[in-house]
Amino acid sequence: MNLFVYTIIAGIMYGIFFGLVGMGLNIIFGVLKMINLAHGDFIMLGSFLAYWLYGFLGINPLVAVPIVAAVFFLLGLPLYYAFVPRLIKSKDPEMLSFILFFGLSQVMEALVVFFFGNNQRSIPSTAFGSAGFTIFGQRFPIAWLITCLVALGAFGFVYWYLQHTRMGRATRAVMANRDEALVSGIDVERISALVFCMGLVLASIAGIFSFFVIGASYPSMGAELTTVSFAIIVLGSLGDPLGTILGGLIYGVAVMFMQSYFSSWAEILPYVLLIAVMLFRPEGLVGKAARSA
Amino acid sequence: MFRLKSKFIFLSIAVLVFTAVTSFAAKPPKVITIGTLYASSGSFATSSTSQYRGLKFWVSQVNKEGGVFVKAFNKKIPVKLVAYDDQGQTGTAGMLYNQLITRDRVNMLVADFGSVLTSVAVPLAKVHKVLLFDPTGTAAKFFTPDNQFVVLCSLPTSGQWPYALADFLIQKKIPRIAIIYSSNDFNQSQAVTLHDRLVKAGINPVYYQAVPTSTSNYSVLLHGIEATKPDAVIEFGFVPNDIAFLEGLQSSGLKFKMVFTIFPGQQLQLIQKNVGPKALYYTYTYPTPPLLKYNDVNFGPTLDSFEQAYKETGKKVDFLVVAGYNTGLIIEKTLDAAKSFDQLEFRKALAGFSGKVKTLDGEFKIDASGAQVGEMLPVAQFVPQGADGLDMHIVYPANLKTGNEIYPAP
Amino acid sequence: MRRRYLQALSVIILVAVVFLLLPRFYSNQSFLFNLMLYLGLAEGVNIIYGFTGYLPFGYVGFFGAGAYGSAIAITFWHISPFVCVILGGMAAVATGIVLIPLLRLSGAYFAIANLAASQALYLIVANPTMEKITQGPYGIDLSSVYNADAGYYTMLAVLVFAMVVVAYIRNSDFGLSLLAIKEDRVTASLAGVNVVRARSIAWMLSAFVAGLCGGAFGWFTAVFYPSTVFSLDVSVFTIVFALFGGVGTLAGPLLGALLLYSMYNFIGISTPQYFQLFYGFLIIGLVLFLPDGVASILQKGKVYVP
Repeated sequence: MNLFVYTIIAGIMYGIFFGLVGMGLNIIFGVLKMINLAHGDFIMLGSFLAYWLYGFLGINPLVAVPIVAAVFFLLGLPLYYAFVPRLIKSKDPEMLSFILFFGLSQVMEALVVFFFGNNQRSIPSTAFGSAGFTIFGQRFPIAWLITCLVALGAFGFVYWYLQHTRMGRATRAVMANRDEALVSGIDVERISALVFCMGLVLASIAGIFSFFVIGASYPSMGAELTTVSFAIIVLGSLGDPLGTILGGLIYGVAVMFMQSYFSSWAEILPYVLLIAVMLFRPEGLVGKAARSA
Repeated sequence: MFRLKSKFIFLSIAVLVFTAVTSFAAKPPKVITIGTLYASSGSFATSSTSQYRGLKFWVSQVNKEGGVFVKAFNKKIPVKLVAYDDQGQTGTAGMLYNQLITRDRVNMLVADFGSVLTSVAVPLAKVHKVLLFDPTGTAAKFFTPDNQFVVLCSLPTSGQWPYALADFLIQKKIPRIAIIYSSNDFNQSQAVTLHDRLVKAGINPVYYQAVPTSTSNYSVLLHGIEATKPDAVIEFGFVPNDIAFLEGLQSSGLKFKMVFTIFPGQQLQLIQKNVGPKALYYTYTYPTPPLLKYNDVNFGPTLDSFEQAYKETGKKVDFLVVAGYNTGLIIEKTLDAAKSFDQLEFRKALAGFSGKVKTLDGEFKIDASGAQVGEMLPVAQFVPQGADGLDMHIVYPANLKTGNEIYPAP
Repeated sequence: MRRRYLQALSVIILVAVVFLLLPRFYSNQSFLFNLMLYLGLAEGVNIIYGFTGYLPFGYVGFFGAGAYGSAIAITFWHISPFVCVILGGMAAVATGIVLIPLLRLSGAYFAIANLAASQALYLIVANPTMEKITQGPYGIDLSSVYNADAGYYTMLAVLVFAMVVVAYIRNSDFGLSLLAIKEDRVTASLAGVNVVRARSIAWMLSAFVAGLCGGAFGWFTAVFYPSTVFSLDVSVFTIVFALFGGVGTLAGPLLGALLLYSMYNFIGISTPQYFQLFYGFLIIGLVLFLPDGVASILQKGKVYVP
């Protein structure tokens, strides 16, 4: 019983973090209808930047959040203008962007190996002190709580942006229908660039806290994270940022239950969930149809 | 037509005889070429490059002395290392082992680190009749009595690693034992051995579970283990698993009387850098050189003088450096003992000095299938030293003991 | 039409003769084997991606299914490894049949679902509970039937088969109907093409080729682990090779695999630290500047590429 309660609470916290992991991928998809196959590598890059800030400059991961966010926002702009407009004009944007971002992920991995080597890197969870906190009689590391609060903060920001700002309303219009938004005079290009950068920023923030939830970082961790992120956003709903949170929660609780009760099969779960949802409920658990044929 | 044919036959016989005669009276080669692979990227990169550095260091050391003594020619011959980067991919590794054997025609072949990258070399070596010096590929399936072309230089096959650990647990009469292992060849074979030995001694592990090798968060698993109320928790994994396990243990605040993991004894610096020294307090492990010191070395330098000499490379000595260097020493001894310069003679020479040679890496002793049986892995425990330092005591077996175990952990 | 068949035939014969003769002059059989392997796999990807537009990101799943299907048949039934390679191909086809529902997905969704399927298959094969059948994490040991020459010529036969299939599709009505589906599914079905049947056949042929390649690889390599034959790198290399050469033709993927795999070995090994970087930039450059591959340069110059 104790284990059961622990598993549920751990699953919820794990899930909130994975909602953040999927969020960046989903808002980019929502606006550009492109799958950023380098998403996991942006998370990896964010974690290495945080590691560097902590290890060499002694900057606490929480303080690192605005720094990393600013770096990734500025990184996003040139990337966007170098690739995306050209891709949108090409004859098969969906497929070609998929392959292009894959190439980008290879470049990023190679660069990180070049500068940091192949070893695992960690920020120890003691970066936030060694205190724990207790919910329902279960003790958890304080780093988990901080990670969850940051993730919830990020969700709040995305919600506020989409619902309560002018740019956000325009963004929702682009998500609903790009062509109509263009016709109605919205600066689609600017919104796309902004959202692309936001997507990278969210990924990098997930990267900062990945040490405390996923464990040590290493250059080739990106591919698996991209697949898991994709499973989560398909589970929630493609192109619906807030559905991502639900997808993350389901994923988190399911993984923790698998680990507790069928540990050797835990790894297969995201893949099976992904295929099952795509085949049987392609619109996701809360969304509208996104599958063709 | 007939004349032409007979002429052709005559000519080919002549060529054959000529080559036979020349190879019989083989002239000593100008250099002894040693071929090997290393992985600069991929999940084996850290270990593989260390092992490669160790071998490379041996080459530079013998060349300083004018080369390695080859008994078959009764003289010293310089050594040349031919090394390619397989990038941790088995397909590429297979291609490159073949390159070393068939194109570069190396005299001695040394495998890359670990079972996965060694696996493709084993059948190739057998078919081309080249002796494969295997530093760390410890899968039992490589070593069969019908294959004379592979020799495991540094460690016992992985199924034998937990022998001392099992004896230690049984002798201490620890009743409730939990075993969690990553599902791969290396870890599973250890878990199976330990489990079987414990059961035979009447101890039924209270928890015995495989987890995916990619597992990176052990929090829930640790709570599942705790629910079975174990005294000792044995975790078999690779370096990333050990890091994640120790970190999870540290942050969860759970305490067990005994915790064992494999790699702190081999990759202490890397693990300590990731989890901090406190996570290792009172943890048990398999100690290996340089943490484990063999005093009765009768071939090559002692650990201390090796560490002294290795300083010139500017890198730190870890176990895989020792393993790579040790492979060089075994090659050196082989060339020193083999009566003729021939792969099967090398193998005979190895069998001849098996059990008689002790290097900084321990006793070299192989069985009929080429598997290492001399080196064994003791059990050691880390204890705090000063504010945040670590010391290590070997606690089992008795003949290597350097301190008493602290059980249960405070 | 007949002339095109002859051109295709001469390409196939040329490739076959080259690989028959090369071992006499170049002794690194493993390199030649790997080269044939990637030529074969690139043609296999070509069947499904080049003619129907489905990008099989999990193509390695079929390769692994073939390697394991063949190895299991050898281990349990002790029949000729050559027959087992064909059984490996059948195992991949069986996998393909299970995955046919994925073809309902389009574009990147299909690619990701296929990727997930290949990883799921990998985790099933490698799971400790499968030890009695697949040896689980312990991997496969076929050294008792190891025969590098036989494996080599089997791979050559598989490669020829793959090229014949592509040559047929390229020059037949079946191929035309596949291309029609690629252009527009609805129009194709209105024009009387049985969309579901046609794409399923292409899918299974593509799976069969990968399975045969996997079987031959398993035999040639003899000792392997699940991670070896389910490595995502196999999918990635194959797709990049095929794209670089130019899909939808017979010669394009051959050219792509030949150029890039040779480069991978001869340049990549000398400066490996830049290799992944180089590969990544190559992919980006390809998409931006040459999305239809090397073959498209020739085609723009009005040269017919078989």
